[in-house]
Amino acid sequence: MGKTSTVETPLYERRLVYLRDLLCELVVRDMRLRYKRSILGVAWSLLNPLAQLLVFSFLFRLVLPLNIPNYPSFVFTGVLAWNWFQTALFLTTGAITDNRELIKRPGFPVAVLPVVTVTTNFIHFLLALPGLLLFIVFDGGRLTGAALLLPFVIMLQFLLILSLGYLVATFHVTFRDTQHLLSVFLMLLFYLTPVFYDASILPARYRALYNLNPMVHLITAYRAVLIQGGLPDLRALLILGVLVGGVLWLGYTVFTRASCHFVEEL
Amino acid sequence: MSDAIVVQNLGKRFRRYHADRPTTLKEALLRGLRRIKPAESFWALRDVSFGVAPGRMVGVIGPNGAGKSTLLQLIGSVGRPDEGRVTVHGRIGALLDLGAGFHPDLTGRENVFINGVISGLTRHEVAQRFDSIVDFAELEAFIDNPLRTYSTGMQMRLGFAVAAYMEPEILLIDEVLAVGDLAFQRKCLDRIARFKAEGCTIILVSHDIASIRQLCDEALWLRQGELVAYGPSDVVAGQYVTEMTAETRRRTPAMRPTRRTSTGAELRVNENRFGSMEIEIVAVRLLGPAGLSITELDSGDPLRVEIEYMAPEPICSPIFGVTVSRADGLVCYDTSTEAAGLHLPIVQGRGRISLQFERLDLIGDQYFVDVGIYEREWTYAYDYHWHVYPLLVRPTRGEKGVLRPPNRWAVGSVPSFQTSLLASEVS
Repeated sequence: MGKTSTVETPLYERRLVYLRDLLCELVVRDMRLRYKRSILGVAWSLLNPLAQLLVFSFLFRLVLPLNIPNYPSFVFTGVLAWNWFQTALFLTTGAITDNRELIKRPGFPVAVLPVVTVTTNFIHFLLALPGLLLFIVFDGGRLTGAALLLPFVIMLQFLLILSLGYLVATFHVTFRDTQHLLSVFLMLLFYLTPVFYDASILPARYRALYNLNPMVHLITAYRAVLIQGGLPDLRALLILGVLVGGVLWLGYTVFTRASCHFVEEL
Repeated sequence: MSDAIVVQNLGKRFRRYHADRPTTLKEALLRGLRRIKPAESFWALRDVSFGVAPGRMVGVIGPNGAGKSTLLQLIGSVGRPDEGRVTVHGRIGALLDLGAGFHPDLTGRENVFINGVISGLTRHEVAQRFDSIVDFAELEAFIDNPLRTYSTGMQMRLGFAVAAYMEPEILLIDEVLAVGDLAFQRKCLDRIARFKAEGCTIILVSHDIASIRQLCDEALWLRQGELVAYGPSDVVAGQYVTEMTAETRRRTPAMRPTRRTSTGAELRVNENRFGSMEIEIVAVRLLGPAGLSITELDSGDPLRVEIEYMAPEPICSPIFGVTVSRADGLVCYDTSTEAAGLHLPIVQGRGRISLQFERLDLIGDQYFVDVGIYEREWTYAYDYHWHVYPLLVRPTRGEKGVLRPPNRWAVGSVPSFQTSLLASEVS
């Protein structure tokens, strides 16, 4: 039999290539499906945050002035990062239940599914990123060498969404209203995240509680490296990194333990 | 050489939950978390052990719910066994659900790539095989059209084609051959035969005992999650069919008034009539050349067997069978709606089905037309009338045997020198 391709390359190497290809194909499929029948296509990934930007700018510069410098860049950064978090986490919840036929495939690596959803939304974020950078430059922000830290912040957010994604996706298989509850929770969390306001205006006694929200640190870090052009709060990011690592391990373990029962529950 | 598939004491337990098990967190909190625990569990498979040598083809038979699909899933490492283990040596390919993972809005080309990668190939490997896949599916002209413009048959062809070029060492097949047109079915069977010739180990789940007998080296019979028999396919399939007959006997209601057919024969339960009577054969008519009811005809005459049935409750996809057998029991011809590829939907109420023989080329003798309606997997008969409807093929003098194909003698002269040669030899 023609097994040349499996014999020539070492097995683990082929496995890595395979997982990469699988991830690519599934992400491309998601992207194609989303834009296949829309005239505006990828522009949608920019239009939605732009609309939010308009509303927030109008509200908090003219109606209830917050007096934050570079407010449009400030809000735009927050909106993009938050949207990625919210949409990706929401969609990852259904990563298992929406892919019933893939779960039943012999040898299909189920753990790739949450990664696919997070990646798809990450790409939407990436597509909007040049827009954001342009915006910051025109808005008078200071793009400095600190912006080189951006990939690390992005990676941290990616892993954060993924680690939570494994947990909610597993939970959603048993309780099908998880996604619904999560959307309510995310809506509330939006107000407890400094998207359209600055975290510094918070009274000190609520601060400890407020800081439990990981997105607080991420959005603050984005602004630090992109708009203020300075170093982010490295200590907070380090703690967050360790925590995300822990949650990722936990989420992945729970997910793989439960994954052998997914077929029965679907 | 060690076995390609080793299954040891395999057990899989499914949990059965309360009927009102909460499916949402809200319900769970309102009703208390107690009900989340399974009410009971049952073994979908238990103590199943067998080994399959490389290159063998094994057919899995058994009624619905016997654990056939569960076994296939566990061999494909979908889900985890609760007991025992499965060891598989080689790359697994699957023909389980053709077209799963296909998306109607994407083109055939895009779907081939996605499906190929989902099946375990890298993109490079799919690209190498792409032309062969499209060629096999006979879809060159349509490959860049969205899949939603394809007919079901075309989609199945594409699904099979992708799977066919997986180059698996172990192939799991679950009843996919019942799709597509006959020509393509033939092609699929040929491809499966080639897999086998190439040394691929194959596990085939099918309800079609005939094709298991024909294709497989071994058969594995499951009943309620337990292994009943594993051995040469002929032997195991034979045992299975025998048990099906016994099952029919068991289901035949004992108290049933004797009935008379229109020709005056008596229908007596468990003597010449068997079945669960979920569908009853109300009347059977044998129609001759003129379309009239007959009990005898000449060899070579057309014959139409008309079955009138009555199903008080809806019955899903029953199989109708007709057998022509000689008075001494020899089966001369046997066919069924399934054999003809005719799939009946749900049947309810009164209805009629008929089978037309263009000509019946049997030798003159006494025959019976046996008629049966069977459960869709042949597990038992609903109603089976054995040796109730007589058919006399009028004897012609001087002929023996079973068949009487149309024939004609021709007499001619032979060149004379051969005749003289022959004559000299004799002298």
